[in-house]
Formats: sequence, C-alpha cells, structure tokens
Amino acid sequence: MSQSHRFYGHGIPHVNAQDLGGTLIVVEGADGSGRSTQIAELVNWLETSGHATVQVGLKRSTLVSEELERAQEGNVLSRTTLALFYATDFADQLENIILPALKSGFIVLADRYIYTLMARDMVRGMNEAWLKNLYGIAPEPDAVFYLSVEPEELVQRNLSKTATLDYWESGMDLGLSRDMFDSFLKYQTAMGEAFRQLEKSYHFDIIDANRLVGSVTRDLRKKISALLAGKSGRVASGIRA
Amino acid sequence: MKTFAESKFPGRLIAVEGLDGSGKSTQIYLLKRWLEAEGIKVYFSEWNSSELVKSATSKGKKRELLTPTTFSLIHATDFADRYERHLVPLLRAGYIVLCDRYIFTAFARDVTRGCPPDWVRGNYSFACAPDLTMFFKADLEVSLNRILEGRPKLKFFEAGMDLRLSNDPYESFKIFQGRILDQYLAMTREFNFVIIDANEPAERQQVIVRKLVSDRIELKKFKRRRPLPLPPALRPGREAGREAGRDEQEKEEDKIA
Repeated sequence: MSQSHRFYGHGIPHVNAQDLGGTLIVVEGADGSGRSTQIAELVNWLETSGHATVQVGLKRSTLVSEELERAQEGNVLSRTTLALFYATDFADQLENIILPALKSGFIVLADRYIYTLMARDMVRGMNEAWLKNLYGIAPEPDAVFYLSVEPEELVQRNLSKTATLDYWESGMDLGLSRDMFDSFLKYQTAMGEAFRQLEKSYHFDIIDANRLVGSVTRDLRKKISALLAGKSGRVASGIRA
Repeated sequence: MKTFAESKFPGRLIAVEGLDGSGKSTQIYLLKRWLEAEGIKVYFSEWNSSELVKSATSKGKKRELLTPTTFSLIHATDFADRYERHLVPLLRAGYIVLCDRYIFTAFARDVTRGCPPDWVRGNYSFACAPDLTMFFKADLEVSLNRILEGRPKLKFFEAGMDLRLSNDPYESFKIFQGRILDQYLAMTREFNFVIIDANEPAERQQVIVRKLVSDRIELKKFKRRRPLPLPPALRPGREAGREAGRDEQEKEEDKIA
C-alpha cells in the first residue's frame, strides 16, 4: 500500500516512522488565502471518493488550546513562551490525532502545520535552527500546498469577510505600526519572506491563490490525484480530478 | 552554554538540583534567608510555577494526557515564561536569582522518559547556564525514605507511572528516581555541578553552601542601595523578615497539600 513517512528530526520517542502509512497533506497560507474553503472542498471530494480523512489545525489540542487562547487574549506571553506553547499544542495533536490516523492509513488534512508556526516565530526574532530542532518531532508531509496571496488582496478579502483585521494576523504585538492597516501589510509581507526562507529547507508547492476559488480547487485536486496515484495505483484509480 | 556572568548580565543565578527528598529546597531557602539578611537583592523561583501555564499542566497531569514529548514541551513553556518575564529582567537589574531546580531537571527527567537528549537541550538553549549549580547528592535510599515516609500518596507522573516500570507506584517511583539520579550524575561534568553531600546534617551543608556562594560570587556588589521599602502596615525592622518567612512556609505547605 502506501509508503512510510520520515521525521524531520528526532521524531517522537517510541514511534517508528516506518509504521506511519497514510497520507499527510498540508495546506498553508494566511487568513484570507482560502485555506479553510479549499480544505472543506478537498474533504468533501476525498470522502465522496471513499477516502477516510482526518482534519487538524492549529490551536485545537485538548491539552492547551483553551489556555493558549486565554494567554493570547491578554497578550502577556513572551516570544519563546508563545513558541513553546504552540509547539505543545502541535505535539498534542500530532500524537493524539495525526500519528494514529497515519498508522491507520487515513488521509490527514492539516489546516496549517509547523511552517506557519515557524514563520511566525521567525518574524518575532526566534532562531531558525532552534525552531528546526524543536519541530524535528514532525513527520514530513506528502505534500505542502502554500496558498500564496498578495498582502493587498488579503486585506480586501479579510475586510469583505469580517470588516476587521485580526490583531495577531496583523502582527500588532510586533509594533510595526500603530495603524492596523499598515501593520497588516508589513506583517504579511514579513510572513511571506519567512516562508520563502523556510522554502530553502522544506519543500512547498506554491499555489497562486490570487485566483478564483474554483481554479485553485481544480489545481489542488489534480495535484492530489497524482500524489495518490503515485503512492498506490490501486487506491487512486477511483478518483477523478 | 554561557553563564549569566559570561553573557554580561549584571545579576547572577544560583541553581540547586537533586532528587526529591535530597533536602535541596531547605538549603536554598536557608541561603535565601541569609542573603536577604545581608541586604542583598535576591529573588527565589521554583520549578513549574508559571501561573499562565499552570492550568494546562495540571489538567494534563490530572487527566494523564501527557506523553514524554508534551510533558517536556509544557515544562519548557512554563520555564520560558518564568525565564522571560521574571528571571531575565531581574538578572538585568542585578539580582541574585535562586532557582529551586533549573533546566537540568528537565534534561534528567525528559531523557529518562525517552526524549532525545539533543532535542531537549536544544529546546532549552535559549537559557543561559547558572553561575553556580549545586547538586545535592544523597543516597538513593535516603531520598526515597524521606519522600515515601512523609508523602505517601504519589502522583501518576511523579511516580513515573507513564513509563510502565511497575504497576506499584512505590516500586515505579524507586526505579524512576534511580534512573533520574543516573542522568544527573552523567551530567555532572558537562555542566559543572558542584556536588554537595546531602547525607550530612542540614546545618553543616548550609555552612558549605554559604561558603561556596561567597567564594564564587562577590556578594557586596549585589547589595541594595536602600533598604527594602516596607508595606505601610508593617513596623520597620525584623517584623517584615518574619512575615516573609511565614509566607514561604505557607507556600510550602500549600504545595504539599
């Protein structure tokens, strides 16, 4: 059936990467890049085609998601603390959801993964080598799709959706500008640069998501069909892009 | 790993490490009392005490949700919070910071639980090394007896039950502590621990501790310029010291309860 995975670094104690089958697909991108919409589309499509899927995202762990939320509201955590708190949240979901699902041969769709966490921390001045060691616990995905949208377009989409810009997605904690609009543009530009820096070590499939939802969906389906066909001809034969 | 002195901090950090029941908390408490009486700017910090992270840690422990990886990360988060919000500003301000347990506790425990040593060390690499680390080395049996006599109900993670060493918490605790001790001893040279013989009487240990601290650290540099400002309700002089001491004891009692 499907091939096994490997960890980026040290991995997880007592877990053998060879036992991890399944398929891990990551969708990365800023708020407003269409990530959630695309993931919903993909889940629908994959499940209709008979694939068992599991979804994970950031700040959804049983262990620390509430505390993380509360801490963020007060904006009292320093950067190392925040980085480690998010890593704890990721590790909890990794061990309780992602790894068991992969062992059972599921398709795991991750609404953001370690790369967003690393990029956020890098923008806040954390050392890249430190982050790589920390996130050496993560298995390497089968595919990482980075939905790339120009910051100017992101502003328009966020405003048309909620009429506000999110405090954290605007990087307001960084003091880039007192003006939220300016801060958002600066922060998203910096995040884009951090992703480009990370791309030197990790493989991203960059998708132009300035386009309409439908054409991005078609692209993703085509790529995922090819991926699944490559992993196992038999399993993928039922899927049409 | 550089010490705080080597990293040009005006303050100094002194850490005590050792097994539960080695008597290290008593020793660092007595050290603190002495330094305070000498008029030195001193701050005491203990392991696993960040308010923010506490609720997640206790939930994880109570519901037994923690794996070696998340156990390690949540303690690193707790440490980072204390480090960035308390220790670093105090050390920048020229305080002597006393830590009841420091990163070596994590190195010993997490590696015993199966985390890769390089991974754990890497995660804590944002922290400077203590300017003095005292390791309180008692015979394993002595530490075990002190704990097992005084506090018979062992918690799941405290006893290392997650390692499945034994179904009996006492047996598990003994094996677990033995392995942690091995990890500590293996780190002694790597991190320049000064070994204190914790089988000696407490008073004699304290004499050694105070001598060591005054030899290693030029204490008069860390004196307060002005005496501690007192809350208005308190009379000047000794009253305040007694009050602070009582708080410590209460905190200690809370912890045990």
